[in-house]
Amino acid sequence: MSISGVLRIGHINLRVLDMEAALDHYTNILGMKQTDADDHGNIYLKCWDEVDKYSVILSKADKAGMDHIAYKVASEAELNTYAQRIRDYGIEVAEEAAGTLLSCGPSLRFTLPSGHVMRLYAEKEQLGTAVGTTNPPPWPTDYPGIKAHWLDHALLMCELNPEKGVNTVARNSEFMRDALDFFLTEQVMVGPDGDIQAATWMACTNTPHDIAFVGAPKSGLHHCAFFLDEWYDVLKAADWMAMNNVKIDVTPQRHGITRGYTIYFFDPSGNRNETFAGLGYMASPDRPPITWTEDQLWRGIFYHTGEEAGEFTSVYT
Amino acid sequence: MLMRGRRWLVEIEDTDESFRCEENEHLLQGMLRMGKKGIPSGCHGGGCGVCKIRILDGEAEFGVMSAEHVNGEERERGYALACRTWPRSDLRIRVVGKMARNVLRPKRKYGFV
Repeated sequence: MSISGVLRIGHINLRVLDMEAALDHYTNILGMKQTDADDHGNIYLKCWDEVDKYSVILSKADKAGMDHIAYKVASEAELNTYAQRIRDYGIEVAEEAAGTLLSCGPSLRFTLPSGHVMRLYAEKEQLGTAVGTTNPPPWPTDYPGIKAHWLDHALLMCELNPEKGVNTVARNSEFMRDALDFFLTEQVMVGPDGDIQAATWMACTNTPHDIAFVGAPKSGLHHCAFFLDEWYDVLKAADWMAMNNVKIDVTPQRHGITRGYTIYFFDPSGNRNETFAGLGYMASPDRPPITWTEDQLWRGIFYHTGEEAGEFTSVYT
Repeated sequence: MLMRGRRWLVEIEDTDESFRCEENEHLLQGMLRMGKKGIPSGCHGGGCGVCKIRILDGEAEFGVMSAEHVNGEERERGYALACRTWPRSDLRIRVVGKMARNVLRPKRKYGFV
């Protein structure tokens, strides 16, 4: 059962500088498998526990970062409803024919107030999980790397400049709530009066976030996260990254916000990845949102030290 | 036998400091080994652009780096990302952009910015 018409994150399209290195990373480190490629050289991959054909698209480019992020909605009828609601909200929508997104039905393409491109679609070819639906084992034996379960969420850096009256964190969050039925689970409030919404975590499922927005000088991609079961998997994942010289930004620890267990690390083009483990808590639209104040915001991000670690705010694509 | 690459001397013009860097390690790795605070160690993949430098003198080999942070014209003028630069001679460099600013990072007024 879904709470709203948006079922879950569908995929993220990442720009990579070196396709061979990127493919090696997303397969041998994260444990995804390539499921397709298209005439433009884009590579499509899925995690073992995902049913749809792909959750990551890699596109060769001369700049790193995110091309677009996509969410899956429950039906084509609801897709049409969303097209109207997004327009009514005041944002232009391009209606794309089936096949515009590989192996997908019709899709909607629009731009968030922060400048990020988002797509919605209702159908994507299903290949099923790697363990099937009849008497499945708990995990597959033929997947390499850290065997991430699924693409979990993305955090988008959104232009925030209160002195110029720019707050695309707040504008994105309002749009996601009013047009796409996401609900706020957590937020960071800053400024002299604590009334500037500098970061938000929002959900359309029961997990603490399906998307997050954090204020930054310039919009971009902070990270996309892949799900692992538990704390021990996070430890072993970091071991595997170190063995393979993956550049780790922040070693295993807990987030105060969402309660997740995390590692931040980079793909070979500098796009930040995260492993996100633990279900945190059962998110629900009627659960009051959690607020983190400016003096405790780093406690929220990195719970144990309460200090900025790695290059959380200074490095993103 | 463990093969060690040749080691070159890299001088940072801005601070009058220098560090040794092997042929098979990029300049950022060498720079980080100096143990100096404030050197931004970002993605190490040429994507995030925090380790921008300008090579004033010397030879180097380069990996692919994001055009968002170093464009073609800048490349011709010696700009590069330290994490995508491997020394092939002694070098004299200057740190630029975020790399230079990071050392004197001002206090944030609004949490993250």
